[in-house]
Amino acid sequence: MKKTIAILSAGVLSLSLLAGCGGGEEDSSDGKVKIEFFHHKREGMETIDKLIAKFEKENPNIDVEQASPPEPSTVLRTRVSKSDIPDIIGVGGDMTYKDLSEAGVFADISDDKSLEKVQPAYVQMLKDVSGLEEVYAIPFATNAVGVIYNKAVFTELGLEIPKTWDEFIEVSESIKAAGKTPFFHTYKDAWTTLPSFNALVANTQGDDFYSELNKGNILAGKRYKEAAEKMVQLTEYGHKNQQGVGYNDGNTAFANGEAAMYLQGVWAIPEIKKANPDLELGVFPFPATNHADEVKVISGVDLILGLAASSKHPEEAKKFIEFLLEEENAKQYIQEQNSFSALNGITQDDPSVADLKASFEKGALTDFPDHYIPTGVAPEKTLQTLVLEKDVDAFLEKLQKDWEKVQDRK
Amino acid sequence: MKEDNPAIQAQNISPKVASKTKRKMKSREMAYYFMVLPAVILFAAFHTFPALQGIYYSFTNWNGISLDYDFVGLKNYINLFKDVTVLDSYLFTFKFAIFAAILVNIISLAVAIGLNSKIKGRNFFRAVYFLPNVLSVLIVGFIFNFFFTNILPDLGEEYKIEFLTTNILGSADFAWIGILLVFVWQACAFNIILYLSGLQTVPSELYEASSLDGANKWQQFWKVTFPMIAPFFTINMVLSMKNSLMVFDQIVAMTGGGPGNSTTSISLLIYTGGFSGGEFAFQSANAVIYFIVIMLISVFQLKILQKREMDM
Repeated sequence: MKKTIAILSAGVLSLSLLAGCGGGEEDSSDGKVKIEFFHHKREGMETIDKLIAKFEKENPNIDVEQASPPEPSTVLRTRVSKSDIPDIIGVGGDMTYKDLSEAGVFADISDDKSLEKVQPAYVQMLKDVSGLEEVYAIPFATNAVGVIYNKAVFTELGLEIPKTWDEFIEVSESIKAAGKTPFFHTYKDAWTTLPSFNALVANTQGDDFYSELNKGNILAGKRYKEAAEKMVQLTEYGHKNQQGVGYNDGNTAFANGEAAMYLQGVWAIPEIKKANPDLELGVFPFPATNHADEVKVISGVDLILGLAASSKHPEEAKKFIEFLLEEENAKQYIQEQNSFSALNGITQDDPSVADLKASFEKGALTDFPDHYIPTGVAPEKTLQTLVLEKDVDAFLEKLQKDWEKVQDRK
Repeated sequence: MKEDNPAIQAQNISPKVASKTKRKMKSREMAYYFMVLPAVILFAAFHTFPALQGIYYSFTNWNGISLDYDFVGLKNYINLFKDVTVLDSYLFTFKFAIFAAILVNIISLAVAIGLNSKIKGRNFFRAVYFLPNVLSVLIVGFIFNFFFTNILPDLGEEYKIEFLTTNILGSADFAWIGILLVFVWQACAFNIILYLSGLQTVPSELYEASSLDGANKWQQFWKVTFPMIAPFFTINMVLSMKNSLMVFDQIVAMTGGGPGNSTTSISLLIYTGGFSGGEFAFQSANAVIYFIVIMLISVFQLKILQKREMDM
């Protein structure tokens, strides 16, 4: 008797463990079709919840569930490797998109009508990143990197918005001379070195960088020199504990007026406003070089909408994607998220990003250079060492070697 | 289950009794098998099988998500030895593990001796020292991260202590010390318990006898206590070395492997490179090598330390 109980309980235990691994794919019992929207915009969950509620009202037979875990790229890769693929995938237009496209995760939508709604430049960006002719996702929202600045400090010191690199350094000098901190660097989080590095690299690496890369020539060691030197120069205008604080500390500190400028993307603005809603801030294009007319703003695809090839309910999933692309809904998303739209005719009118508008209107935009660096290279780690040790040559050598190494392993 | 059970053969008993005993033994053995079977199945399904899969993938060029992959032979293993990042992470991990294992053992033994003596509030102190063991490593890591980032620099400013004014976790040279402090603080809890149970096995007559012979406390420790708890020293050394070689959570919570790669342990490198870095096969090879290294170290430690137990 005892033996039977032991065996039974052991069996039940192991079965329940196994059950924990599977399941969850059944349609809900009330006859609704369940689709899953997996995305990497944790900041946007609230907005997407509102949009989902609206969609479900219009389509009572569809149940949309969103998932946005921390470390989304890692979670998504793990799920793909065990063939548990969400119906709609929302990642950035970066290496994750490339890897997923190559792995055949997405359905090919090159001939889809919805693509006509999208600005061609962003569709081209996806093609460039993946190196493929086919398009596997619809660019939905885009972002931009600039210099976020505290308007009050600029007015107080009588400063103009700098248009060139030299003016930029002059402005920093005068802020420093006035006893204030020019930049609030947050080097403890390695990735926070990337926005300014991207802005510098994109404007200095040379036009043929990517075409050479496609031929297999990695030019990072030579072409990143100017950007690296300027990164080192910027470290001089930080604060004392810049190696020891991270992104969240930076948002709070900038919101409290501890620095005049903050080198981040527009995605930081909602977080800053959360910490101090009264702060008057603006964003100006990063003056990466001394040729003011040629300076391009970094703007990349922040959120794509990709339909999984393996989706059991492609019709319903498509319906939700089309719903998000409707003007009213796309507008609501970019307004609440302070981002930009990849769709034609939808503009971001928030006054904080008014200084960037000119660049958007004349199309002086370019993609994030780090979207083209293979994930295994992890340039942010090497950058973190650069801003600490300030050794430009060592940085260039390591980045070049790491890149070659990763390419060799393929 | 074996027919020629030596235990039964050795006893000179009549065949009838023997067969009865045998049957009894058999059913008892069956019960034992049923006890271990679930664990064996679960272990094999969730540990052995994935480990074998990992070895298989280490000979391919799979990136973790693509549908097809090729066999590349020993290429991953060859690249492994040419990779500076891998070498650096080995150096960091061993530096960390040696310091951690030594500190953990010295501190735990000292605290355990204190907690074993007849002091007031002994049980209270035992509970306090055991507390870190039941806390989540990640949460402790985040708390200390906050402590190093926000509280220590403020204290440094307040009392004009220069080296405290910047976060040591942001320094390539000292970040590992911050992690070491947290690791040792938390790891000691478990080792203290092991040492305590060891100390309670030492018969008090030995202390009486040695004090009659005129031994002082210091001599008592080295000549009586330490040899008597030698097996506990062995297991504590092996466990703490193994645990510190696998350090992961504290680093994730405190530095994420930075600045640069200065605090990237091998486990962290395998995880980040393998999952987010798209180098699943390469890092699988790294994991295979690391498995062999840890096994060799543990066997080596056991051999040396057990030999020492005999000599004492």
